[in-house]
Amino acid sequence: MVSILGNKDIIEAYLREELKVVNKSLPLKRKLLTELLREGYPHVATRDGGIHMFRKSELKLAYELLGDELASKLYLPIILEVRTDLKETTFLVKDEVSAKLIAKVLGLDKYELPLYLYPIHLHELRKKIETLIQYAFTLEGLTL
Amino acid sequence: MSQSQQILRIARPTKIELIKLKRRVKVARRLHRVLKDRLIILIQELISLIKRSLELRTKVHEELVRCEELLFDALSVSTPQIIEVYASTRYSRVSAVVGSRVVAGVRVPLVELERKEGSIDYSAYPLTLHEVGKCYDAVIEDISRLAEIEISIVKLGAEVARIKRRANALENILIPRMESTIKFLEMKFEEREREDKMRLKKVKELLTRKSQGG
Repeated sequence: MVSILGNKDIIEAYLREELKVVNKSLPLKRKLLTELLREGYPHVATRDGGIHMFRKSELKLAYELLGDELASKLYLPIILEVRTDLKETTFLVKDEVSAKLIAKVLGLDKYELPLYLYPIHLHELRKKIETLIQYAFTLEGLTL
Repeated sequence: MSQSQQILRIARPTKIELIKLKRRVKVARRLHRVLKDRLIILIQELISLIKRSLELRTKVHEELVRCEELLFDALSVSTPQIIEVYASTRYSRVSAVVGSRVVAGVRVPLVELERKEGSIDYSAYPLTLHEVGKCYDAVIEDISRLAEIEISIVKLGAEVARIKRRANALENILIPRMESTIKFLEMKFEEREREDKMRLKKVKELLTRKSQGG
């Protein structure tokens, strides 16, 4: 017999830690695309005290794709929610303007909210707007 | 007994422990899923970065050869001193802004070049020299991008190795051990139930015999 767990549940603690590690780099406050375009060094502050920078060329691309009106409604970075309770690795975009931009980048004519994305879509997103997206891991359906 | 078949040490094999253990397995499976999802994202990112780094390296080598050729052409119409003056006055400032971005919890660098136009009279220099300038501009841009990508590859690679190790430990050791412990506990409880049943039967028989005898 081996003792790995002991009395305290280290697995739950580890799960919490792992989620903290993954989500520690999420932005403290997201910024509007138009606001970022005006900045010399477009960036947002993250929860771990660092910064997440955006590539200017990608911001310009997003502005071109969305137009003036929607650009003033788009909050960046776009958060792709990773759903771990589903069978396949699935990413969810709940925000309407973000979903519109992603649909335009992916060339999707029709889509519904929330927008479901799969690993195959990431390649295209990474090529065109890699700095505009961030992943957030959620644990829906599990109470810790 | 292989490592995965071993069972966990439990202070008191009670039903409460069994329920707790079942919950732990559920959490462990979810943790495994989180790690796997993260691994998928990071590996995809890593592969695309490796591909891009290979492409960029080839491009930089080709561009450098082309720039050298253009420079030789330019040297046939300009002197090295003129070229040096042209190169030093073309931009008043060239700086690399080094920031960072985050990919699924891994902080990777982001480099952007900033150039400030200098006070240069382009008409005073031959066209071939402009070609050389543009060529080297592209090379510098690509080299900075390459540096960013190669550092990102190292960082992502280290994280992939770490997550893989943990995911494997969960998949091959911890979860199977918990499952075999659950199986062991369930068997133990079944056995205890059977024993209880037998004991009750025996007591009943004894009581019947006693009542018949009395």
